[in-house]
Amino acid sequence: MSISDATVAVSEELAARDDMIVCRDVDKWFGDFQALSGITATIKEQEIVVVLGPSGSGKSTWIRCINRLEAHQNGQIIVDGIELTNDLRNIEKIRSEVGMVFQQFNLFPHLTVVDNITLAPIWVRKKSRPEAEELAAALLERVGIPEQAEKFPGQLSGGQQQRVAIARALAMEPRVMLFDEPTSALDPEMIKEVLDVMEELARSGMTMMVVTHEMGFAREVADRVIFMEGGEIVEVGTPHHFFTDPTEERTKLFLSQVL
Amino acid sequence: MDDAAGTRGTAAAGGAGPVGPVGPVGPVDPAVTDVAAAAAARARPPEETYRSAGEWIRKNLFSSRLNSLLTIAFGLLILFAARGLLNFVFSEERGWDAVRTNLRLIFTHAYPEEQYVRIWVCVGTLVVLTGLSLGLFAGRGEGVQLQKISTVMAGVGAAIALGVILREPSVLIGADGAVVRENDDVVRQSFFEAMADRWAWWLAAAVLIAAGVVLRRAVASSKVSISSVPAVEFAVALLALPVLSAWIYPWGHFAFVDGTFIAEPGRTVAMSTKVPWTVMWLLVVAAMALGRLMRRGFDEQQQQRMRIPLNLLWLASPFALYWVILRDPHLEWDRVLSVDIPMGVLFGVIGAGVLWMLTRPGVGELGRIIAIVLLGVAAFNWLAAFFGWYSMLQKARLSFLLLALVALAAHNFAGESIKRRRLVVAWLVLMAIVHYFATLMNAPSTVETPTEALIGGFAVTVIVAVFTIMLSFPLGVLLALARTSRLPIFRVMATSYIEVIRGVPLITILIFFAIILNLFLPVGMEISLIASATLGYTLFSAAYLAENVRGGLQSVRRGQFEASDAVGLSTTQRTVFVVLPQALRVSIPPLVGQMIATFKETSLLAIIGVFDVLRMANSVIPAQTQFLGIKREGLLFVSVVYWIFAYTLSKQSQRLERRLGVGER
Repeated sequence: MSISDATVAVSEELAARDDMIVCRDVDKWFGDFQALSGITATIKEQEIVVVLGPSGSGKSTWIRCINRLEAHQNGQIIVDGIELTNDLRNIEKIRSEVGMVFQQFNLFPHLTVVDNITLAPIWVRKKSRPEAEELAAALLERVGIPEQAEKFPGQLSGGQQQRVAIARALAMEPRVMLFDEPTSALDPEMIKEVLDVMEELARSGMTMMVVTHEMGFAREVADRVIFMEGGEIVEVGTPHHFFTDPTEERTKLFLSQVL
Repeated sequence: MDDAAGTRGTAAAGGAGPVGPVGPVGPVDPAVTDVAAAAAARARPPEETYRSAGEWIRKNLFSSRLNSLLTIAFGLLILFAARGLLNFVFSEERGWDAVRTNLRLIFTHAYPEEQYVRIWVCVGTLVVLTGLSLGLFAGRGEGVQLQKISTVMAGVGAAIALGVILREPSVLIGADGAVVRENDDVVRQSFFEAMADRWAWWLAAAVLIAAGVVLRRAVASSKVSISSVPAVEFAVALLALPVLSAWIYPWGHFAFVDGTFIAEPGRTVAMSTKVPWTVMWLLVVAAMALGRLMRRGFDEQQQQRMRIPLNLLWLASPFALYWVILRDPHLEWDRVLSVDIPMGVLFGVIGAGVLWMLTRPGVGELGRIIAIVLLGVAAFNWLAAFFGWYSMLQKARLSFLLLALVALAAHNFAGESIKRRRLVVAWLVLMAIVHYFATLMNAPSTVETPTEALIGGFAVTVIVAVFTIMLSFPLGVLLALARTSRLPIFRVMATSYIEVIRGVPLITILIFFAIILNLFLPVGMEISLIASATLGYTLFSAAYLAENVRGGLQSVRRGQFEASDAVGLSTTQRTVFVVLPQALRVSIPPLVGQMIATFKETSLLAIIGVFDVLRMANSVIPAQTQFLGIKREGLLFVSVVYWIFAYTLSKQSQRLERRLGVGER
């Protein structure tokens, strides 16, 4: 499908907003294997975008390129008006604007929950410790686990850990949140508690880009769904369009397998 | 603290709830009608049933034919080894007097008698620090189980009884004090005579076994209301036994005083031994009580904050004890007032000014350029010293270098004036400490010893080991970081350093540093044998530590790096706050292994001519006219001393591992 189709899929109201993430013809290779080819997409301010696709389709690679955990080789990635290049200062600026939540939580195991959350605000944002701890307490309240502040990550359940990870990312007061399969490593009964936090975050007006296999979340919360396969964007559309009337053959095949 | 304990308690109860009915249900007394109590009883794991000793032996030692055979074979092996050792240690031919008389020589070599109080001040300082640390931080665990104590008591009693039987009968001593011989064979007592002769040992064994059994019964029948005693207090109380025995039991008085040999077997030990040790014991008790008092007065957070000054005192103690107390510097006050103090003040003030300027908000690139220029000047100073271009006091060079290094890091403190002020104060404190110690080190010592070295024996072992460990640890961490760095220059330098050092035998490095190092030093600079040996050990040990730390660094998962990057930490912050703490925790066992190895390798000092503890036992004592050729006793004693220290270190590392295991992923 062409780029113009993708643009049509965006509603009028969204189109009027500022661009938050702009990708133009992004390519990425791992050795000889092309993980991303010609990714072009624009994510608007306060938009919730869900990226779907079979495993190995390049969705995680793409989201990791946006805060430079992976370096793209061709094309442009512009986050909030700053272009990602090899310039370290730009990378640092973008990373402090972009929060990220990982599949494996990646909490710091040697620090308590509250220290996990306050580490970056204190040392990157240069906040005072009491100020940062106040912020951490508020965020733990928001993700629903204020009583776990003094525990170590290893003492928490998976769902609680992932909520701490979300609080840690939010503590930097980011403009964008990236979620890389946030519920894939969780037991079924814990998925909901994490999705609830993410929904609340979406309602609060955060710009979010979510790689997930949770079709329910995509249908309920997303403004737009992007379907990827083989390192390419195959189809872009509203959840309604995507789940009821997909145009592409590959999308139909994928949906028939997962739904 | 109370909050945390509360939540932990409820969490534990909540967790036990669903497990209770599933887990094995213990016998519930039907009389228990209280539902809650019954639930609580079910929530607990079933109590371990007490097995009799016979049952345990059948199950673990004689469970199968092969197992029985192995038990018997290896049991006999152990018995034979124990018998050999006992016969060696308790033989009438052993000259243990050689060790008893030379204890002072073994531990401190020729440190002058009249200055000995300095050594006791050093020991006392360490004892007080230990007591404070123990009182403040130790003993949060369960303590020692009384049941375990009873087992150990009975076990020791049984071992003594077995030893008494195993040891061969004593040799008969004739009226002239010589061993009675018949046809060149020594004549021994009959077995029964020997057993009767050793009544004191039998008594000791019987008392210990009886006490153990009584204690065990009392605990089992819950006549004693406590099931355990605090571990630290128990250990300190045990230490009172040897101290007290010095006042009561006639261990004998053996010494060399002013070159004369004293041997008075029938009396208690000399005042100059028992008084200091009693004082040491009282000090540790007092310091521990003080620590406990402070612990009660402070909440958890304040206690954690107490760790910092206490650990700083521990870190500072080797330097202060060696140069201030043990060495007793003879300061020339004219020079101190006219040169040393003005220079310290000058560097403090100018450095503070430079740092204040470099931390101005928005100083930007200019600050880094100034820091790099400073670093260049500092490097040039050292180069000039090497070729003797212009003279300059060594501490001026050192201060210059420190200023350049701090200036390089200054931009991290730019901004708020409170941070700037903190950096400046830290700089002033650093300068005060550096200049103070540089002055002390350059002053001659008032302590006069016959050899070039201030102190020898076991003290020198400890001093070299402590300084080596303290210096090589940061160096090793830096080398490991450099070797895993992304910058090729660091990587190449660190890798080649590590590979070169690891390819050269330690003894070669030591001899090199002992003999050749002085030739490479700047004009007019000299370095003592012990200092150059310490340097050699440090460089050697750092290479190995670096490899251990690198192993830890590699075990830190990639996700940790990504998470640190994602929250915006810089490379330095990521290393300091996220990667190193995890890497060091993983590498505790090999790091402690390396420390123990370093401690034991100090015995090589004997080869380069330092009078260390091994040399005392191996060559000094056997050369004394009274103890000509008596070597084995000294060597055995020295091995035991080494073992005690090495074993303590490894025990402590295990404790550290357990303590840091909290929150392990």
